[in-house]
Amino acid sequence: MRSLPEADPGVPDIRSPLRYLWWTARRQWSTLLTGIGFATLWWLVQALMPAVLGRGIDAVTAKDSRALLLWAGVLLGLGLLQAYTGLMRHRMAVQTWLSAAYRTVQVTARQAARLGATLPKRLSTGEVVSVGNSDIAHIGSSMDILLRGTGSVVAIVTVTVILISTSLPLGLLVLFGVPIMALAVSPLLRPLHRRQRRHRELVGDLSTRASDIVAGLRVLRGIGGEQVFAGRYREESQLVRQAGVGVARIESVLEGAQIVLPGLLIAVVTGVGASFAVAGEIPTGQLVSFYLYAVFLIGPLRTLTEAADKLTKGHVAAGRVIRILSIEPEVSGGTASSPGGVLRDSYSGVTLQPCSLTAVAADSPDDAAAIADRLGRYADGDVTFGAADLADLPLAEIRARILVADNSARLFTGRLRDELDVRGGATDAQLREALHAACADDIVEALPDGLDTVVAEAGREFSGGQQQRLRLVRALLADPEVLILVEPTSAVDAHSEARIAGRLAKARAGRTTLVCTTSPLVLDRTDHVIYVEDGRVLAEGTHRQLLDNTPAYAATVTRGED
Amino acid sequence: MTREILPVADRKQVRAYARRLTLRYPRELTVALLLHGLAAVAGLAVPWQLGRLVQDVQYGGEVNVVVVAAAIGAFLLLQGVLVRYAVLASARLGEKVLAELREDFVDRVLGLPLSTVERAGAGDLITRTSRDVDALSRTVRHAVPETLIASVTFVITVGALLLVSPLLMLPMLIAGPVLWISSRWYLKRARDGYLRENAAYADLTEGLAETVEGARAVEALGLQERRRARTDDDIARSYAAERYTLHLRSMWYPAVELGYVLPVVATLLVGGLFYTSGWVTLAQVTTATLYAQQLIDPLDRFLMWIDELQVGGASMARLLGVANVPDDRVTSASSSPSGELLEASDVRYAYREGRDVLHGVSLTVQPGERLAMVGPSGAGKSTLGRLLAGIHGPRAGSVAVGGVPLVELPLDDLRGHVALVTQEHHVFKGTVRDNLVIARSDADDQAVRTALEAVDALDWVLELPDGLETRVGSGGLAVSPAQAQQLALARLVLADPHTLVLDEATSLIDPRAARHLERSLAAVLDKRTVIAIAHRLYTAHDADRVAVVEDGRISELGSHDELVAAGGSYAALWTSWHGTPSTPNQ
Repeated sequence: MRSLPEADPGVPDIRSPLRYLWWTARRQWSTLLTGIGFATLWWLVQALMPAVLGRGIDAVTAKDSRALLLWAGVLLGLGLLQAYTGLMRHRMAVQTWLSAAYRTVQVTARQAARLGATLPKRLSTGEVVSVGNSDIAHIGSSMDILLRGTGSVVAIVTVTVILISTSLPLGLLVLFGVPIMALAVSPLLRPLHRRQRRHRELVGDLSTRASDIVAGLRVLRGIGGEQVFAGRYREESQLVRQAGVGVARIESVLEGAQIVLPGLLIAVVTGVGASFAVAGEIPTGQLVSFYLYAVFLIGPLRTLTEAADKLTKGHVAAGRVIRILSIEPEVSGGTASSPGGVLRDSYSGVTLQPCSLTAVAADSPDDAAAIADRLGRYADGDVTFGAADLADLPLAEIRARILVADNSARLFTGRLRDELDVRGGATDAQLREALHAACADDIVEALPDGLDTVVAEAGREFSGGQQQRLRLVRALLADPEVLILVEPTSAVDAHSEARIAGRLAKARAGRTTLVCTTSPLVLDRTDHVIYVEDGRVLAEGTHRQLLDNTPAYAATVTRGED
Repeated sequence: MTREILPVADRKQVRAYARRLTLRYPRELTVALLLHGLAAVAGLAVPWQLGRLVQDVQYGGEVNVVVVAAAIGAFLLLQGVLVRYAVLASARLGEKVLAELREDFVDRVLGLPLSTVERAGAGDLITRTSRDVDALSRTVRHAVPETLIASVTFVITVGALLLVSPLLMLPMLIAGPVLWISSRWYLKRARDGYLRENAAYADLTEGLAETVEGARAVEALGLQERRRARTDDDIARSYAAERYTLHLRSMWYPAVELGYVLPVVATLLVGGLFYTSGWVTLAQVTTATLYAQQLIDPLDRFLMWIDELQVGGASMARLLGVANVPDDRVTSASSSPSGELLEASDVRYAYREGRDVLHGVSLTVQPGERLAMVGPSGAGKSTLGRLLAGIHGPRAGSVAVGGVPLVELPLDDLRGHVALVTQEHHVFKGTVRDNLVIARSDADDQAVRTALEAVDALDWVLELPDGLETRVGSGGLAVSPAQAQQLALARLVLADPHTLVLDEATSLIDPRAARHLERSLAAVLDKRTVIAIAHRLYTAHDADRVAVVEDGRISELGSHDELVAAGGSYAALWTSWHGTPSTPNQ
């Protein structure tokens, strides 16, 4: 068996769900075929058991010790073979399941990384995350069931052939009886699935309710309302209970039917077998075989139903996966190059001089964010970088040279040092400097293992202000040619903000930096301030000049109420 | 990889709870078990008939084929009907017990001490609420009934075998040691193996979620290669965990299968020899062999589900453990506060032994006063805020309202005196109105509107599709973090405690809007004491007094003008913030 994951998952066929499944299957042909082989053998061994047991009973009836020993030995041999083929089938099944599931995770994660900023615009997080939570399992199961499913068809055919060769009417009875039995329960399946779906939805709602209570627990314990929420939870919990019983009502009928329907077949087959035996057409032991054949058929029959179910679910899951895989990134790049220089957004008129520390103060935060997005080419715009159009540069190069750091950017789970130094290779001294500049030394000091601490849950254990400062450290360490910071200190206290503002210029010396902010503490420490109103540049100068000569600016940065 | 902060119940507690739960509905349990037992008996009638049939055919007895077939059919029909009601009865019972389990758990969560709630990150609790409740549901819905049914069927089949021929029971015993030894070996390792497998799987899906949620950051910072590596690492770990359990099963399954087939072979062989010796009849051998075969199913079910029981037990231990958090309030009902004067004297506090974060803070807040606390992060502002809100008791010194220590007030009384709002911005699932009336369920429309108006939120709320009745929170309309903070403040206005501690309660609101909000809030909260921990200096400027907290001490205390005049660190900060050294009341 090949070790997983494969370094290269390959290029998926996303033309249709079926083609995706086919592609997944083709990528692991050998395991799949070996598995089908073992599964078929496994079923065949089981299909032969009734015959051997019947011979054994015949030997008992004849009081033939040698024959008895022989058939008991064969039975044991078949048992061992069943154990071996069963194990191999299981191992292959697990491997195909994992291979399909992992491959789907790989292509989905790679696609998410490829889409980047386009992803949140085109897909909800839940849609992609549900691939990991359920779709990969369905796709895995649709591969896994191919093994047993194919084998079960072979087993049914074999038993039918054995029965037909014994007695044509009996064989035909089984041949037609089995599918009829399988179809007889199908009217139950639709209402069952409907109730199961409703039950699942209610369970989902209930667990959302519970998470809601936990997430808001501070509020509930702080100012009250526990009884109301406990009551609501109880109500929904009882709804889930009723829905669960509703599901069980049909499921129990199904379970009963799965005994009664094959039971009818068993009764008829045994009856016919008995009449043959009475007439002396078959030995007594074979009567037992007939009974056991009929009993045995229940297994492959159930597997067929299971296969239909799993393949359907796999198909639906594959549909969801290819929808994600077929999205293309919104912004594309060109092939030109630029030595860099002045970065200019012509719509707003914002111009960044190389190696300067510039600030944009906008009367509306959205306008500032839009300017940052255009300058960083997250949105189309008429932007020039030196002599070149930004749109003509390769996207990867733009990302490497111009970094837009906003507050939606999150930290990732991992060792803090690695998560801060994302481009790798920063020295301890550089790390210390960046931590100092972002006033984040105290955060690291408070951690049990300092920079080696593993950040859990994407840094959610840090407060908003702490996360913001760590993000700033990360942006500073990336050390891009142009750094665009959007409201980098909005959640930081005034003391720390003042310190950060004072240290930023030194940390970015010799590089181009733009800070979008309305905080006077920061604005006062930049070389040049651009005031933007209604999305366009209205005035430029130093913070103090603008305070004196642009009343609208003064109103914006001093909160307007003085 | 969430840190486990809350306690976990021990084995004894779990057992006692499981026992209590099982025996809470003795009638339902008896009915379910009885039905399953009867179904098993009906199922056993068929091989017995078959055994007689074989014997009759062999010895030329009177055989009416139609009657035999009809009898077999009838018993299977009976079995089917019994199974239907047995499954339904046990599902009913299971759902009932399950509902109780989760409702008990939520009650326990809602009763967690305030100090624990404030300290413990939500992570641990959320894991318990989602993953452990799910795991336990699986156990109660499937593993418990399956193992129970398997046990009943097993016992009855063995009983039937004894009835048919005690002698033919002997060859069965051969399977005992094989099954026992291999299963013990397996079960000892299985639980940890599967827990590791689940944890690795959870890491894998969490890793994917992270890539998705941080997709823009991935692009901005060029992390594609890293995320790819992380995915592949997670897969490699998941694969290793899967390989381990596969290895366990590879050892166990063949042993078990051998354990299943051995009794059939032995019964046939030994039974045949006994028959030759005339110790048993042909019918007995046939029936016993078929019973040996029929034993496989319950045995298999039992063994397949038994490790799931272990997993359920582990989840149950974590759910029950929540109740093990000791209550943190030493309430003395006798004393009631003589006023609303809030007084902290020589307060010290440490999160970790020997590392005080507050070093003897004394502070008196007059009723109706507005006090702002400023200072660098990590200086102890939030800690002091929590002590002033009565959430933690100080290590030394005291925090009292009207002469009564806050931690001695019963929780309901405390809420009437002081409440804390943090920068957390959770919106509950429900309507906007639901979100506000949490603390005062009798609040009328006018009160709700007034509260919203006080936090500048009435306009946008009324513009929502259904106004106050708009559904927000998970699954509803998305509300921005800033709006969520407004709702939290409006809720507090409705709750109307005498003292409010606001810990950066407006930090997510656009600074320009925040100041307007704070002023209109102040107008509504006239006569109420407000302690605001602020990172924006205008909050300090607008307050009656400002306390500068540095290194766990109050380094400066006075009105804005006094502090600016004093020329200390606050004055320096103000100057750089406002750009002019003078008091800016132009």
